[in-house]
Amino acid sequence: MIRRKRVLRSRLSSSHPEGWARRCTTLKRLLARVLLHSAVSGPRFSVGTTTGVVTLLLSALPPVRLSAQSVDPLALRFTSMTAVTGLEQSMADSLRALFPGSTRDRVGNVTLTLGQGSPKRLCTCPLDEVGYVVGNILPDGFLLLRRVGGGGRTASPLFDQQLEGHRVSVFGTKGAVPGVVAVKSVHLTRGRVATGAPDPVFTVDNAYVDVGAGSAAEVQGLGITALAPVSLAKRPQLYGERLLAAPNAARRIACAALAAAVQAKPKVRGTVVVAFTVQSLYASNAGLASLKALLGPFDDIKTATLPGRYPDTAVETVALADADRLVREITQWMEGR
Amino acid sequence: MRPVWRYSGRAVGAAAGLLTALPFYCLSAQDSVRISEAQTVLAHLVETYGVSSAEGPVREAVKRLLPAWAKSETDTAGNLWVRVGEGSPVVVFIAHLDEIGFRVTGIGDDGTLELEPRGGFFSSLFEAQPALVHTDRGDVAGVFMPRDSGLTRHTPPPLRVDVGARSRAGAMARDVSPGATVTMSKQYVRLTGTRATGRSFDDRVGSAAQLLALRRLDRAALKHQVIFIWSVREEIGLEGAAVAAAALGTTPRRVYAIDTFVSADSPLELPNFAVAPIGGGAVARAIDNSSVTPPAYVDSLVQIARARGVALQVGTTNGGNDGSVFTPYGVVDVAIGWPLRYSHSPVEVVDLRDVVSLADLIRAVAETW
Repeated sequence: MIRRKRVLRSRLSSSHPEGWARRCTTLKRLLARVLLHSAVSGPRFSVGTTTGVVTLLLSALPPVRLSAQSVDPLALRFTSMTAVTGLEQSMADSLRALFPGSTRDRVGNVTLTLGQGSPKRLCTCPLDEVGYVVGNILPDGFLLLRRVGGGGRTASPLFDQQLEGHRVSVFGTKGAVPGVVAVKSVHLTRGRVATGAPDPVFTVDNAYVDVGAGSAAEVQGLGITALAPVSLAKRPQLYGERLLAAPNAARRIACAALAAAVQAKPKVRGTVVVAFTVQSLYASNAGLASLKALLGPFDDIKTATLPGRYPDTAVETVALADADRLVREITQWMEGR
Repeated sequence: MRPVWRYSGRAVGAAAGLLTALPFYCLSAQDSVRISEAQTVLAHLVETYGVSSAEGPVREAVKRLLPAWAKSETDTAGNLWVRVGEGSPVVVFIAHLDEIGFRVTGIGDDGTLELEPRGGFFSSLFEAQPALVHTDRGDVAGVFMPRDSGLTRHTPPPLRVDVGARSRAGAMARDVSPGATVTMSKQYVRLTGTRATGRSFDDRVGSAAQLLALRRLDRAALKHQVIFIWSVREEIGLEGAAVAAAALGTTPRRVYAIDTFVSADSPLELPNFAVAPIGGGAVARAIDNSSVTPPAYVDSLVQIARARGVALQVGTTNGGNDGSVFTPYGVVDVAIGWPLRYSHSPVEVVDLRDVVSLADLIRAVAETW
């Protein structure tokens, strides 16, 4: 059985004859726009004049008006970002740009204080993810990886197998570089794999990243060095009735819900510290622990969470209707209702 | 239709429309005109879907990219033909339009789709990935469902697709029905240098190379009739090519199958054979699993390439080719390819210089042999 216990309840009974994927052209167009503006640049297409023109045109557009009911653009944006645990700076920068007045503490948590007086409460979400860094660069230009984070989060032995034969982004000093993880050619296995032969899963030690380079020097010329963060290429998929599939969708959309609640400008009771925390997957939730030490104590703490279908896969799925509910729930909590 | 979102004003719509119309694969500053042209044609074909037996969109894309003078016809199987020049001996170039994927075979009570593969590939590469169901009324998004959590072998059980429905009726209300083809979304992405990645380079590169050769072909130089065919259903048994071969019978002298040279240029492959580095030029596919090119013909190919200054490698690899179904009619199969990494995966890698070499070689052969 698939993990039915974690299957979310969504509005699926009202199937529409046209099919949501086709009806929701507005949201899909928004997706194109969101990806274009993602804080983490997408694959390097050697941006040309046409793209520049489009970017300029999009920049001139009125900003999407957010309300408590419109978590969708933030959900799309957040699920397209990468924040390998301990290396969340790029996403943190994006959050700081999203929330003028926010600060980043010494650990990297992004915090924003709303209201004043007591009670003093904390509303938080972890923004990091299990990911990879470049562990070695081979003379022929291939990259080797090590996983960062994990432990209990990667209980599935198939977690790393999702890399095999798929696109990744390598976040070098000159921006994101597209790459692929090598996979055997099916044609060349013919006659070489006996029926009933062992079928071991793919592990991170099997991952050779190909960025198209032919030498280590060429790789370094792209701004890629050891310790550069690496993740699966993020391509959120909308399907069904407002279902959004992406790696780490549940965490990211929970953070999007928290962001949407803040942007709805709630009438906060007392003081609410909003925190997007880092390193939740390391050292017993190091980011949150340090936040409490630095800014606490708090009278109450609320952590934004959402249920997800297909957890820990590249198609971890969240119903955006659940995210709507979470936005309302957070808003009410902030307002003390 | 139930309106759900109202974010977009006219400006957003216009911008999104513009985005849709623009190519997403801008050119590198260092690209030559030839590389740029190859990329433009190839990217368009790669981003068009056409699982075996549903090649219509790719066929139409090829027709749009043909030079204005070319007159095409489609046979009963769905193969696209362009004839150039007159006289004997007739020679044929053939590249295939189709790509690997799945076909819906049934819809479960829970609304999930049952699938059968079309072509040979590792199904694990599709597991837990975004899916697209191609229906008569457009594409329906979904996901290839991950396996049950307890199964920990590399190969998953038969895959299913979740389109967000919770019943068979719900799935059918989205226009999904048995027979529809299924793929994962794909994108042409430029890597560093002259390399690129995407899915279905096999055999969109061959299809693109034939187009590029036709665009530059000196028709006045032809000494005989040359037929260019873009075939269907290669991945499920060379079916389209078989129809074309039967139609032509013993008329052609030679057939040039333009298809992938699956390369061992990868740290995961054994170097026993198939050693043709990407970026090293087109490849004479001298021996594969379906045909052996007579050595004298390989030598002729090498001489033509050398005379024209076209980069050509010679090698042996695995896989079959469309030309092999012509050989029972006494037609010599000269298989030509280009080196490809990670065949039949979502991240096939090609070097655009090889695409240009292949196009130049096709043109040279058509004009001089």
